[in-house]
Amino acid sequence: MQATIARLAQRPNLWPWLLLTPLAVYLAVFFLVPLIDVVIMSFTEPRLSLANYEKVLTGVLYQRVFFNTFVTAALVTLICLLIGYPLAYLMNRSTPRTAMLILTLVTMSFWTSFLVRTYAWMVLLGDSGPIIGFLKFACYQNPPQLLFTRFASTLAMVHILAPYMIMNIYSVMRKIDPVLIRSAQSLGARGGSLFRHVYLPLTAPGIANGSVLVFVICLGFYVTPVLLGSPREQMIAGLIGHQIDEFLAFGMGSAMAVILLLMTLTILTIYHRRFGLDKLWG
Amino acid sequence: MNRFLIILGIIAVVFVAAPLVIVIPMSFSNARSLQFPPPGYGWGYYEAYFTDMRWLRPTYNSLIIAAGTTVLTMILVVPATFALVRHRFAGKSIADIMLLMPLAVPHIVMAVGYYSFFGAFGLVQTHLGVILAHTCLSVPIAFLVLSANLKGFDRTLERAAQSLGASPWRTFIHITLPILKPGLIISALFAFVQSFDETVVAIFISGRNAATLPRKMFDSIRQEADPVIAVVSTLLFVLVLIGIVAPPLWAAIRARIKAPSALSTIEKRP
Repeated sequence: MQATIARLAQRPNLWPWLLLTPLAVYLAVFFLVPLIDVVIMSFTEPRLSLANYEKVLTGVLYQRVFFNTFVTAALVTLICLLIGYPLAYLMNRSTPRTAMLILTLVTMSFWTSFLVRTYAWMVLLGDSGPIIGFLKFACYQNPPQLLFTRFASTLAMVHILAPYMIMNIYSVMRKIDPVLIRSAQSLGARGGSLFRHVYLPLTAPGIANGSVLVFVICLGFYVTPVLLGSPREQMIAGLIGHQIDEFLAFGMGSAMAVILLLMTLTILTIYHRRFGLDKLWG
Repeated sequence: MNRFLIILGIIAVVFVAAPLVIVIPMSFSNARSLQFPPPGYGWGYYEAYFTDMRWLRPTYNSLIIAAGTTVLTMILVVPATFALVRHRFAGKSIADIMLLMPLAVPHIVMAVGYYSFFGAFGLVQTHLGVILAHTCLSVPIAFLVLSANLKGFDRTLERAAQSLGASPWRTFIHITLPILKPGLIISALFAFVQSFDETVVAIFISGRNAATLPRKMFDSIRQEADPVIAVVSTLLFVLVLIGIVAPPLWAAIRARIKAPSALSTIEKRP
């Protein structure tokens, strides 16, 4: 026994490496190589130059798409927060049974394929859907076009991403010690000031988590903007898909993909430095 | 302030719920368009889904691909999780980040990469190609679930087994695996669902031969908005409902059945 322990201590432990190697090799070949391929293509397609980046960074069309994407992502994040915060608060304040019911609902929304949810919004906002129907009924003769607009894609993205925000905020809110709130109240904090100085700072980590997650996912969102949005106001991911699918312009598509990747990684790196990446998907 | 937040919260609940509910009546519609509320009801589109190979084939493809992805993901992730949770070694933090990377990269970026990389090896439009790609995307999720389980594992149980003379291998088979089983099942389930739902990479690389269900739904919504989508959506939604509501319900039923039976066995004893 003693001898075994001594031997084990002397020998460098190879076990973790042995266990880790298959996955590491797999990810290197099937994840890193394709990713590096994108970076290489952005410089070499159709020929070795910086032309793709020059076009993407100076072209008015591309600048507008990048700007649109950023504004949309920020807007979606903000609306998710405005919806998610009260909902999490409602869950936190209601009886365990009601809270459970709402949580089940949110979880179900989260697990329902986002294609299903996109389709639901297509029905809701369509020309023969209930909202247009209501507008016609309420004496609007020419109701506005809702589907295939930026409004439609923004609304659907909010609906799809809201569960991320709600779950993040709720998990933080649930852990707040009620004693803190009561002591703040006994010290005279009321209404707005209680919210601003006590509740909001305590829930800030949940807000940060949820916002980063929603913003980052929204930046690279492909399906919903392509299906519900206006073809004239694409987002980055839609434009990348367009370059690959329609024009086989791998160079341009890759250059945009690299810029999208850099933006995403920058945000996540800042987040990682402050909070740690593993907490984000907690 | 409180009342204001609560009213907003109730509106938010309606906003979250309404679109989920609307899909179900749509699937029973007999209209050719996306009319809501439907002018009449029938089983027509269910019949269409279950008899149309253009829908059944992608469903089958999705199941095969998700199953393959789950098996491959678990083979790779289980040993790696043990290494990362139970051992300390140089480069561990880099390995941690590397494992989570596929979650951080937008799927459209990976789609471009796979389109070109797999194209060079003839893997585009094959089941294997989609499985290989989906496994990368499932790895971080399976890892997060499993490592959370493994971190909460009480290692004194293993030490107890070994002090009673069990070999490390026997300890692993008879102690570690059974205790870890729920975590392994949930982790595998997450990997399966991740692959089954994945859309963007599938749109670009699954082609016609290996077209997955999300790809078919995407194409269908884009082109003609075939009402069969409502049927598929309802079926998927019901699956989610069963998946979320069934486990607690089953636990409750089992608890209720078990209590009297345990009592009766006690009574039977002389």
